Amino acid sequence: MKARNAVGTVAVNAEPGYLDPYRNRWIAIVKASYIYIVFLLIVLVFSVVKLDQVRFFGRGHFLSPVSIVNLLRSSVPIITLAGSFTLLMISEHIDLSVGSAMSLSAVIYALLVRSGVSFLPAFLITMVLGVLCGYVNGALVMKLRITPVIATLVTLNVFKGIALLIVPNRISAIKSTDTIKMPLWINDYARKAVFLRLPAAFYVAIAVVVVLVIVQRKTILGKYTAAMGGNRTAAELSGINTVRIGWILYIIVGVSAAMAGIARASYMSLGDPLSGDGMELDCIIAVLLGGTNFYGGEGSVEKSVIGALIIVCVTVGLMTVVPPFWQMVARGSVLIFAVTLNYLLAKD
Amino acid sequence: MDDMAIAVKPKNTFLRGISNESFISLFMITVLIVLYGVAGAIVPNFFLPRNVLNLVMNYWFTIILGIGVTFIMVTGNFDLSVGGNIAMTGVLSVYFCQAAGVSQNALANGLGLPYGVALALAMVCALAIGGINAFFVTKLKVPSIIVTLGTMMIARGVAQVVTQGAQRNTSLPDIFGVVGNASVGNTPIKISVVIMAVLVVVAFVVERKTVFGRRTYLIGANREAARLSGVKVNRHLAYLYLTSAFLAGVTGILLASEFKAGVSGRATGYEFDALVIVLLGGTSINGGFGSVLGTVVGALVLGVVTSAATGLLLSPDWQFLLKGIVTFLAILAQRYALDRRKS
Repeated sequence: MKARNAVGTVAVNAEPGYLDPYRNRWIAIVKASYIYIVFLLIVLVFSVVKLDQVRFFGRGHFLSPVSIVNLLRSSVPIITLAGSFTLLMISEHIDLSVGSAMSLSAVIYALLVRSGVSFLPAFLITMVLGVLCGYVNGALVMKLRITPVIATLVTLNVFKGIALLIVPNRISAIKSTDTIKMPLWINDYARKAVFLRLPAAFYVAIAVVVVLVIVQRKTILGKYTAAMGGNRTAAELSGINTVRIGWILYIIVGVSAAMAGIARASYMSLGDPLSGDGMELDCIIAVLLGGTNFYGGEGSVEKSVIGALIIVCVTVGLMTVVPPFWQMVARGSVLIFAVTLNYLLAKD
Repeated sequence: MDDMAIAVKPKNTFLRGISNESFISLFMITVLIVLYGVAGAIVPNFFLPRNVLNLVMNYWFTIILGIGVTFIMVTGNFDLSVGGNIAMTGVLSVYFCQAAGVSQNALANGLGLPYGVALALAMVCALAIGGINAFFVTKLKVPSIIVTLGTMMIARGVAQVVTQGAQRNTSLPDIFGVVGNASVGNTPIKISVVIMAVLVVVAFVVERKTVFGRRTYLIGANREAARLSGVKVNRHLAYLYLTSAFLAGVTGILLASEFKAGVSGRATGYEFDALVIVLLGGTSINGGFGSVLGTVVGALVLGVVTSAATGLLLSPDWQFLLKGIVTFLAILAQRYALDRRKS
């Protein structure tokens, strides 16, 4: 059941391919590109669904420049997180605390900015906080050997609790008050257009993705991650320090969560202690949509990013079509769909 | 924590005769008593009889959920769909029961079914969620945490769609509010609490004295060995998921009846509360180990901690931090105690 590593998949593929060489190739093509097809289909559906009311690419259309910019701006946190979450899931671990870590970062960042710290120091301090969050998760899971789900469920509550405690009573978020004003520049990072109408935060997210793609494909960390997820015992026996690799991965996820939190705080220009709620689910959905095996061992960063875009498209697109209380059903269905797809592709 | 371990370390006979499950339960009972004493010493009015009663009375729904979750976790799986299932069943039971075509307001109109039929249909929907869980976990071999997260969202989503994100509480027959508010005789003990107590006893007997119960442990300890020795693992897991969904459904109906309303946001986070009390009760997340008795003790521990925090006038924001820390300490303490016992 477990350990479907690269070698195993090839061996299974070879069987029908022996009889029909074309079938094997088609399966490979579908496996490699289905996520892009799904993405295009979803975009297509949402761009034709209201054509009786709006002009193609016109105002209010799903593919109008304004709505594309809005969509990409609001997808910055999930894009930032999807890549590192993929690496973590390839190593057969999970981090349910990303949402809370993101909320906590957003609160801390907003607090720093409001108390007069300028952009770069506030950014860096929040990143250090992200490292800390990841370090704690790594310590619980890798050092104390608590099951990832439970350990990160504990830290989910702890981070969220701290974020809620930092925000004073009877106030919903860190924001401008009568006595102390939130500087206006907090918005710039995630809203002010720097290139092609898109803000700096978007390009930072893309940079993170590019770095993680390189990490996965070209570095030892990427190889060891896959080896660890494929068969942890074998990886340990061949001399890989799995504790350290897992710990590093948790720290990377923590840093990504901090960056996502900064982007969210900057986008909303306040530090909401609940702003990251549900992010862990979105991450899981994105990663599974991207075809990462849920028993670890294989997956790809760039496909998870497409998965993340699919979630954002579905969320935003559905808002234009049905009342907002359908969101939950839609999200749950997308998750079940992703899981089924994942199963069918892994089975072949 | 340290003197606990010293008390365990000697190879004394009275602790050797009992199973590891009972040992952990005893351990947690000791923790409970100590916590209770500490809380009583620092929180004013903590020892009032009314408070002791409330500890159990306020946690009946978590304990009912905990029963189903304990069994599933003993097999090494999760069920996070229970919270959403409560909301869905409650909302649907209200929707089916509301009179049809009485008002302009869409939320005041239901299907106008008779009370019994409405409850039965709502339970069918609850079991359907369990069925989906079982199908994906057993047939498609998907990790249960992911499937049940998905069904959690779907169930809560259905509740939100039916109530349009709010609640339904009008044009209900009087009988709807009876079960959830009725109490036994003149005591303040509610029927719901009695149902919980009966379920705990039944679950305890099933766990300790029936083949079904022992097979659950076998599956958790070694699924492959269980399959090879003739246990129908998939069917067994399906029964457990259906049971858990059934318990969630019953809880949902009782809660809807208590407030005489179907609220889409009801039971938010209950799945985590259930998970927390099961973990506090010493059930191993890897399966093969745990007990319903432990879960009940876990619920009481959580109850003492939460009500002590409330008694100390801490803001409700503290509860997340407290739950996290208590769970973490409990897991560490239990592992430590078990390790000391084995060595």
